[in-house]
Amino acid sequence: MTSTQNVATAEQKSRFYSFSLGWLGLLALILLWQLAAILINKTIFPSFTTSIVAALHLITGPIFETDILPSIERTLEGFLISAVIGIAVGMLVGHYKSARSWTTSVFDFLRSLPTPLLVPVAVVIFGLNGHMVVATIVSGAIWPILINTANGTSTIEPTMIDTAKTYGLKGRSLFLRVVLPAASPQIFAGLRIALSVSLVIMVVAEMLGGGSGIGYFIANAQQSFNINGSYGGVIILAALGWIFDTSFLMLERRILSWQRGTVGGSANA
Amino acid sequence: MLEPVLSINHLQVSIRSRDGSMNEVTKDVTLELRDHEFVSVVGPSGSGKTTLLRAASGLRMPSGGEVLFEGRPVTEVPKGMAIVFQEYNKSLFPWLTIGKNVAIGAKEYPQPERVTRVEEALEQVGLKGFSTRYPWELSGGMQQRAALARAMVSNPKVLMMDEPFASVDALTRNHLEDVVQRLWAESNFSALMVTHDVGEAVYLSDRVFVLSARPSTILAEIKIDLPRPRSHLETKQMHRFVELQAEVLERVEEAGRESVGLPDDL
Repeated sequence: MTSTQNVATAEQKSRFYSFSLGWLGLLALILLWQLAAILINKTIFPSFTTSIVAALHLITGPIFETDILPSIERTLEGFLISAVIGIAVGMLVGHYKSARSWTTSVFDFLRSLPTPLLVPVAVVIFGLNGHMVVATIVSGAIWPILINTANGTSTIEPTMIDTAKTYGLKGRSLFLRVVLPAASPQIFAGLRIALSVSLVIMVVAEMLGGGSGIGYFIANAQQSFNINGSYGGVIILAALGWIFDTSFLMLERRILSWQRGTVGGSANA
Repeated sequence: MLEPVLSINHLQVSIRSRDGSMNEVTKDVTLELRDHEFVSVVGPSGSGKTTLLRAASGLRMPSGGEVLFEGRPVTEVPKGMAIVFQEYNKSLFPWLTIGKNVAIGAKEYPQPERVTRVEEALEQVGLKGFSTRYPWELSGGMQQRAALARAMVSNPKVLMMDEPFASVDALTRNHLEDVVQRLWAESNFSALMVTHDVGEAVYLSDRVFVLSARPSTILAEIKIDLPRPRSHLETKQMHRFVELQAEVLERVEEAGRESVGLPDDL
């Protein structure tokens, strides 16, 4: 038992080291920023502390409700819609070969459209508002989910599908109880990409015509020479991205916990 | 005479190859599986054993002939048929515990009964107490026993087995063969097994069919008149076992010689 305990502590130690090294890197970057800002000493380049103070002002001020919350809502809404449609269509396209050959070129064309180009189209359809932002997010974030799901589905072991059919799992229960979990490692990889894509598109769409939101706020702050405010907005965005990704990873680790032992082959076979 | 549980009549199976042409794998196979009978199909590699089993169980549409399960044509895997695949690690669902994997075979039963049935099936294959483990926590032989438990829990009329012991080591194989033999003796299902292992086929079966090379037909039917129950130590030393094994092996090698020059990727 002592040996396993030693292994555990060694593992904890190394995890602690990589964890603290990661924070050290961030700290170094912040120091560099602070130092550079002090040396350059110009209003267009505020220091880290100034920016952090500005960010805190934004979070505690009215901007939180008028811009930050709507941005979070739009990002999550766009991401969730993309996830539902992307996973459903991806599973169908991945499972049925005929569906794949019908849709490949259509999807290849659609997903190679640069998303910012779609903003004017979305503005015409939805107007200058949150719906436009959500629609634009979906138009870009759906692809990594759809493609990954289709890939994961088409590479499921045929024996697994045969097994499902043997025990009468067909139609919806085949997709929900076998295809979905079997493809879930790849689906999650796609979802993670899509989440960060959603955040990026949210900002771009809001800058170009959101009417409100962090992107809209940053664009406005820049144009009205509210330099500190725009830097504060950027810091809030970075924090949001980090929070989204970290919570997503936590969720993924929970749901895919069964996968731990299967990665890299069976340990006991 | 009683109606056979499963009859395969003039079955013909073609597979579309990558260049789009049709490739005849099974030309004409006829065999029947009677009530509580153990039948094996052996053949050289490339004789389309797996294809035959998939077509016979409704996982693949044949291009000719028919399969009848209790008198009714088979178009999908019928209720009352269970299949054990060679690749247990791809057949057990890795995201489910052993107990939940086995429960998939028992979903016909209502909930309180289902749990006891799963526990019983696990006990039958010697996996009592493993129901909360994940497949990857078990050895290969244990995983295949879990797959067997899943097949048994559905209380099948017919158990189809596709090279069920090909992916485990020799000792585990002997053990698994005896597990299957015991399950078969204790229950009343009929078994159809395809294998390339002649000794295994003779050891377990009542009748052994030898498949020719591709496109395959039945080359020979050999009745195995060894007394039951059989054991590895005693049965395999019997003169009759050696004789039968040699007879089957001779026919398989005959079939193998024909296949020289044919692709054997299936």
